[in-house]
Amino acid sequence: MSESSAIRYRVEHRTTYAYQGRNDLCHSLAHLRPLENSTQRIVSQELNISPEPAYHSRRNDYFGNAVDYFSVETSHEALSVLSDVVVEKFPTQGTQISDMSVGTWNGEPPPLPKTDDTGIRLSDFLIGSRACPLIAEAREFVRPHLIPGTKLTEIAGGVMSQVYRDFAYTPGATDVLTPLKDVAGTRKGVCQDFAHFMIAGLRSVGIPARYVSGYLETIPPPGTKKLRGADASHAWVEVWMPGAGWVGFDPTNDKQPGNQHIKLAHGRDYFDVQPLRGIFIGSGSQALSVEVDVTRFDKEGEKATAGRL
Amino acid sequence: MDPSSTVDQNLPEQNQSVANVYTPLANRRDEAVDRGGQLREEWGALFESIQRHGDGILTKWRNESSRISRERGLAYRSESIHGSAESTAGWSLDPVPWIISQEHWSAIERGLQQRIRLYCAMLKDLYGTGRMLSENLVPSQIIESHPGFLRSLYDCPPDARRPGLGLVAIDLARDNAGQFFVLNNRTDSPFGVSLALENRTVVNSVLPNLFHRNRVRRIGHFFVSWFDHLASFSPPENPHPSIAILDANSMDEDSEISFLANYCGILRVIPSDLTVRGGRVWLKTVGGLKPIDVLWRNIAGRSLDPLETGHVGSRGIPGNFEALRKTNVAIAGHPGSEVLQSPGLFPYLPKICRALLGEDLLIPPVATWWCGQKRERQYVLENLSNMVVKSVGPHREFETTYGSLLSRDQLEDLRSRIESRPEKYVGQERLTFSTIPMSSSSGMTPRGAVLRTFGFHGRKDIVHIMPGGLARLGTTNDVVISTRLGGESKDVWIRHSESDSLVSLPKELRRFQFAQPETTSHAAENLFWAGRNAERIDFISRFLHRIITGRMFGFYHDPDGELQHENFLVKALYTFSGGNASTVESQSNGDKIMRLLSPDKKNFSLSRQIDHFRRNTSATREHWSTACIRAIESIEHDWADSTRNLTDLFAFMPCLEELQRNLAAFYGINHDSMTRDHGWSMLESGRLLERCVNITRLLQFRLEEAIPDVIRQLIDESILFLFDSFGTYQKANRAETETRTIFLLVLDESNYPRSIRFLLNRIQTALAKLPEAGDEVAHPVEYISRLRSGLDACCEVLHSDQDSTFPVNAAAMSARLKALEEDLYSLGDNITKAYFNLIGEGRK
Repeated sequence: MSESSAIRYRVEHRTTYAYQGRNDLCHSLAHLRPLENSTQRIVSQELNISPEPAYHSRRNDYFGNAVDYFSVETSHEALSVLSDVVVEKFPTQGTQISDMSVGTWNGEPPPLPKTDDTGIRLSDFLIGSRACPLIAEAREFVRPHLIPGTKLTEIAGGVMSQVYRDFAYTPGATDVLTPLKDVAGTRKGVCQDFAHFMIAGLRSVGIPARYVSGYLETIPPPGTKKLRGADASHAWVEVWMPGAGWVGFDPTNDKQPGNQHIKLAHGRDYFDVQPLRGIFIGSGSQALSVEVDVTRFDKEGEKATAGRL
Repeated sequence: MDPSSTVDQNLPEQNQSVANVYTPLANRRDEAVDRGGQLREEWGALFESIQRHGDGILTKWRNESSRISRERGLAYRSESIHGSAESTAGWSLDPVPWIISQEHWSAIERGLQQRIRLYCAMLKDLYGTGRMLSENLVPSQIIESHPGFLRSLYDCPPDARRPGLGLVAIDLARDNAGQFFVLNNRTDSPFGVSLALENRTVVNSVLPNLFHRNRVRRIGHFFVSWFDHLASFSPPENPHPSIAILDANSMDEDSEISFLANYCGILRVIPSDLTVRGGRVWLKTVGGLKPIDVLWRNIAGRSLDPLETGHVGSRGIPGNFEALRKTNVAIAGHPGSEVLQSPGLFPYLPKICRALLGEDLLIPPVATWWCGQKRERQYVLENLSNMVVKSVGPHREFETTYGSLLSRDQLEDLRSRIESRPEKYVGQERLTFSTIPMSSSSGMTPRGAVLRTFGFHGRKDIVHIMPGGLARLGTTNDVVISTRLGGESKDVWIRHSESDSLVSLPKELRRFQFAQPETTSHAAENLFWAGRNAERIDFISRFLHRIITGRMFGFYHDPDGELQHENFLVKALYTFSGGNASTVESQSNGDKIMRLLSPDKKNFSLSRQIDHFRRNTSATREHWSTACIRAIESIEHDWADSTRNLTDLFAFMPCLEELQRNLAAFYGINHDSMTRDHGWSMLESGRLLERCVNITRLLQFRLEEAIPDVIRQLIDESILFLFDSFGTYQKANRAETETRTIFLLVLDESNYPRSIRFLLNRIQTALAKLPEAGDEVAHPVEYISRLRSGLDACCEVLHSDQDSTFPVNAAAMSARLKALEEDLYSLGDNITKAYFNLIGEGRK
């Protein structure tokens, strides 16, 4: 891959909390700075917070994601956080998952090394976590795909496709606190729910899986289908396989994440990489609104003609 | 109280037979008597004293011990695992101590020191180097699945500026062969250290001479070292570190640690007392925000910063971990220590100890099998009826279960529970604990016992162990021993050949107290409400007293007059006590009165008010003197004890009188001995504000109710009685009661302490001591002039209305009283805004 064939995206992710009353203090954690890896590079990034935080620090978390902590300490009626990022994606060389040479299922999970190639312990992605408890429904969902001799890419791909077929994409049917068991029952939800369900299923049979938060291109190039989940931050799954490392699967779109997927952060589940989490001290309730725009530059510095959502 | 003082000092300590006072169980190791039936040497003096005085002495000791315990307010509310904290059992202390010789203790101490060094090394490893996980010293799942393993602190290992383990509690028990085992270890804010100190204080008062003659090691030095250790983490540039004890955010339980805080004069705070601003931790006080350098943490580490741990159901102190990360605050122990409590680690400790310390483990853990492994699981399931099954995760997630106590069905339930999620459980061998003598009114009986020990890892790799601890006795079935589920406790005496130097904790620890005693916002709020609630209890009890007096003796009116008078009082009482009168409308006066007298705290009863008062006072324990705590305990217990099972209205009379006496004692003691600080201002203004409100409300009620002429006189007398002003009025006014004069007395009489005029002066004095409240909120003292104008407006009507048929214009008078009442509420709101919430720009 060469720099010249890279695609540039501008991501504008705006979160606004409007309070009923006034707020005197707000502490926040933000996972809003995209990871850099072999398929994407950050060109520029800004985090604009209003009102101005009294304190702001940045560090890397346990899973290697960048995280911002800030506190707003003046009395305020609204808080807005705008993440404005330009990312360069390097088109994948058309490696289809079917071409990958990975381990196979031999009646039991493939033997695993202790860590992935970045030093993160795989065992963290084999156990239940807050949003991904290892429920029996998820395990039973995956079990029919475990045919001995099958490549792990095929197993994960099969599970992904079945989640896509069996679950109805229904914005509003769930929220971030809906238990996985309920999602398994209603078979309705959004990208987070599908990712959590698939992760829980794979983990419970011994295949490491992690949660990825990110973005999708809002308005796709002419002739391409608009992907589900493009209007807000998106979520998909990465599965670890001997021979290939982490391989992405997007059960919401039945698709291997590609050039249109911009990865933000990864963790055990949503709660590890929640884009913005805040604790407010004040009176009254709050209204949250989130807007995400991901636009493609036709060539460097020039925004694509596609309008905003 | 210790009769042994009269005994000759040359004690026959060798080979004493004690069969006449104590017989151990057959085939069971006993701590006091050996297999041959001979008393162990260290117990000699104690048994000699008991033999000399006979069994009766035990009853005396026990009575004395419970009297002192109760006076100190020592009641541990046993907290059910399932959350209902209603069943409250008093903390029960057996004054007969567990005596251990220094020689034996030294061996135990070495084992405990190693244990604590091991846990320190494990903590450093988990949040730092990571050998335990990378070298497979322990199955990673045990660590990684534990909610107390805080990934957000992976970059915050303990170091010179950041405390590692705090206080650690290790439970030891001895099996029949005489070997000590570790049953539990508590690395995350362990329970009991304050109770050990309390027990010591009580037992020391009951048995001062025995204590002295046995040359018992003193535990005070341990606490001094602990605070020295805490202080060593404050910023070097700060000569006077601000140390606070962080306690649970619960008003419903009496906090254990409050006893220690109170005794040592160390500031105790709860999470809502603290706020993080600018990456620092601040204390919210009546005087503004004050920086905090060191926190002794007594709440679960994972509930500390919900922003970072995502812990549900806790408000914690958001932003706190950032302050910890930047070493702007020291938190002892490290918030990530809870994972070390997991009994899942037990089977791997010998291996970990060799790897991290290069030593063999001295005191073995009780044999433990982690069900996450196939062979171990099988073993546990095959021997389930002999197993103690515990949670690998937080110990409150699954109540420790004793296979031997389960029915066949219950065993099957447990089996399928383990089979469905085996990795969540361990099975442990059920030990037969050695016994120690338990005293009772009928003599001494052997009872299985567990020894809770305490220690911490100090600077220069020195491990400090408290010489003593907290012994707990088994319940009758002789298996279950839990601090939280009953069973008696004991002091533990380490008997030395020479006496430790004396230590006065309050004196030694003075250097760790805040430079100026701080009244936290939370304490201020509770003191304010303690005052208001005490006044409410007083007012309601006066009503009830008056009503019952009417029923007992009558007021020389015809039955109809008496009834109308009673109706007036009952209606007024229901209006004031906040009860919805319409829901009880159909009830008779008698039922309505009984409702207020009943122990049911759900109704608007006196018991409910007393319960509010109890919560306010227990949340502010460190503000009360010992004498005052006695009065508080009496207010709560005397009422509950003396009214239990009473059904006859008249029988409540002495109880009400006693309650009023106890309240008077509470007021009197505080008036006499409480420092006139911010806390006093809160208590005083709360109480007087409530009194003023009651006066304005009762007078309005008097004006608004239609009162037949025939009982007008009686009603007015009752009003005087309710304000405790009857005598005063009669002295000043020989004539018959006259409504206008009564109003003048309770509103305007500037020399009368119960008049609003006088009360406003007192409130002003109390409020004047309070600091500025910040830019956005007015100082409460500014409300006084407005209240005075409101009072003047009321008095204006009184002075202009000279008609003997007062009130000519009841509506006008009532409206002005209403306005005054509203202004009093505004003052209350202002105090709340100014000092309890600390909103707006931080007043640093």
